[in-house]
Amino acid sequence: MTINRREAVQRVAALMGGMISAPAMAGIMGQKTNNGTFVSFTADQTTLIASIADVIIPTTKTPGAKAAGAEKFIINVVQDCYTKAEQETFYAGLTKLDADCKTKTGKGFVEANEIQKKEVLTACMLEGDAARKAKKGTAPFFFMIKELATTGYFTSKIGATEALEYLPIPGKFDGCMPLGPNQKTWTL
Amino acid sequence: MNLNIDAIKTITYDAIVVGSGVSGGYAAKELTEKGMRTLVLDRGKQMEHITGYEPSYKDPWDFKYNGLLTQEQKASHPKLSRDYPYNEMTEKYWMNDSDSLYKEEKRFDWYRPNIVGGKSIMWGRQTYRLSDIDFEANVKEGIAVDWPIRYNEISPWYSYVEKHVGISGEALGLAQLPDSEFLKPMDMYCVEKEVRKRIEKNFPGRIMTIGRVANLSEAKQAQLGVGRSACQYRNKCRLGCPYGAYFSSQSCTLPPAAKTGLLTLRPDSLVSEIIYDATKQRAKGVRVIDTVTHEVKEYYAKVIFVCGSTVSTTALLLNSKSNRFQNGFGNDSGELGHNLMDHHFKIGATGTWEGDEDKYYIGRRPNGIYIPRYRNIGNDKRDYVRGFGYQGSGSRSGWNRGIGDLNFGADYKESLTHPGPWGMSLGGFGETLPYHENKMYLDPMTKDKWGMPVVVFDAEFKENERKMRKDIMNDAGEMLEAAGLKNVKAFDNGSYPGMAIHEMGTARMGRDPKTSVLNGNNQVHACKNVFVTDGACMTSTSCVNPSLTYMALTARAADFAVKEMKKKHL
Repeated sequence: MTINRREAVQRVAALMGGMISAPAMAGIMGQKTNNGTFVSFTADQTTLIASIADVIIPTTKTPGAKAAGAEKFIINVVQDCYTKAEQETFYAGLTKLDADCKTKTGKGFVEANEIQKKEVLTACMLEGDAARKAKKGTAPFFFMIKELATTGYFTSKIGATEALEYLPIPGKFDGCMPLGPNQKTWTL
Repeated sequence: MNLNIDAIKTITYDAIVVGSGVSGGYAAKELTEKGMRTLVLDRGKQMEHITGYEPSYKDPWDFKYNGLLTQEQKASHPKLSRDYPYNEMTEKYWMNDSDSLYKEEKRFDWYRPNIVGGKSIMWGRQTYRLSDIDFEANVKEGIAVDWPIRYNEISPWYSYVEKHVGISGEALGLAQLPDSEFLKPMDMYCVEKEVRKRIEKNFPGRIMTIGRVANLSEAKQAQLGVGRSACQYRNKCRLGCPYGAYFSSQSCTLPPAAKTGLLTLRPDSLVSEIIYDATKQRAKGVRVIDTVTHEVKEYYAKVIFVCGSTVSTTALLLNSKSNRFQNGFGNDSGELGHNLMDHHFKIGATGTWEGDEDKYYIGRRPNGIYIPRYRNIGNDKRDYVRGFGYQGSGSRSGWNRGIGDLNFGADYKESLTHPGPWGMSLGGFGETLPYHENKMYLDPMTKDKWGMPVVVFDAEFKENERKMRKDIMNDAGEMLEAAGLKNVKAFDNGSYPGMAIHEMGTARMGRDPKTSVLNGNNQVHACKNVFVTDGACMTSTSCVNPSLTYMALTARAADFAVKEMKKKHL
């Protein structure tokens, strides 16, 4: 590749208005981060993560994040790639989201109905946006899980081959052709 | 039967080649094809062509972290993990930091492969010829020493290797960037085609072309004959190509060498020393440490090609001390280890492109665009010397574009299943001057696990490079703006020597043995049966990617060496 990964990331970040979460950026850009250990996720927490991911990437014409098993990727990255500080942010955010949901609806996030889930996650998103603008500490929890759910989903077999179009061996290159009416985004 | 003679025969060859990367592989091919029994020694593990490229067969969902490094990998690779080439997918191709100890008086990113074929597997494959503007620059400007060769001496050798390697690109007839023997050029994205027109219209003298790349846009007999096939546009080159569709030692030079029946390839073989025979005043062989068993062996040959990559080659020469060479092999000039150079980069501009929403592409092009050097050429005069070229690419954003947006849910998901806006980026690669004080040396007090003294780096970019970087960033922004890109953002991510993995210059070629290590045939001035044909030999860096020049110089030096052997001069 002539554009190295850092430049590609910069380009993507530029297109996104400069927002990409710190851990992914640190990982992609190979910055040194602090090592730390973190308790593994319980079965309940795993279900909670899958449930949040499924609100971010729900089943539509194609299966959603939960069906694609995106929580496995989320947990892998948080456990193994995140720094201790990032893990703490993620864990605290996860706990707070569930607690906020209980306060608001009387039910945990997993048990809440779809409308309630969206409301609670929207509040979490707006909190995250405020924190992001204040630029303190790690990326906010919402943007962490949004990024992980999105990446986990679109790189899963279901996401990559059903929601997107995956051509493992294109066999040719045409750089300038009409976009077909049913053409989906390339996975890669 | 005389066992002793047999034993000596198995450790004695016509030629020994240290390293099996771009240069070493080429030396192996040329020497064996000219009838030399050749031993190739590589410190890396065996990497079989096709079957060895395990990560290249994986789908996105087969990677646990989608390429990210774990905290454990970062902790065990504090230096290697500072930049992108080392990641989840390429983990096994690079040496561990703990095996690759080195010290930094100033930051230097040293990427050391851990496989046969070396960086020819992971390289960027951009292939450009140097020109006389490059070969004459030092002497015209009174900088460092003159190259001992000119373009007309290397030009036939460029052609020779290009026909075998297969270089895809577009002929332009430029003095500063001579054309190669081209396979058909790869296509451009719509945005690139339009930006090209607008740059060439707005900035006379600046040209944007498709990258010249060692990928087979088409496979001709020269390539089919060694079992290679055309590019499948997977863009997984860095993981090794099962189609042999780009140049690597495994795809392109080791198979023809093996076919001669004269090649012996020994992986896990760290060459610790070149053995000098004071009586005969020539090198008699090399000492080798088996990286697995730590067993020490010696091998002997009439000629030795040192192609271990710039830093490792130089470390080997510095470590090869004798009464004759007390400061390192062939180091009468004192220049060995000095003049360490790398291109400076990670600077340019990006922008978004409004339009072409109804256009898309098929295939993943393993290549980008190239803007050849235009500064300090002809009447253009800047407040620095030399110049830079740009690599870049158009792109259409995909599913990861909305991560930072304030949204989620069905609409968010559905929007990402359609392609996003187009964009374009340019990144400069600038020439770095040869400064005597930019150097590497050995620390005899610190040894690695094989008992080798570790390398210390003391090199930095200086004023000339800093001034050039201002132009690189401003010009990139100006060109994108003039070409109609929106949201143009110039960037300078900072560049440290080593990061471009174009390290060069530490055993430079020159006309005078007092100021250079090698002569115009890549021979060590003071020991004619030792040749150095990797990046260490470079007298200046040009601004173009250097590997093609290593191939051409290697083929040329091998031809010279064999002719000299036949004349009994070696």
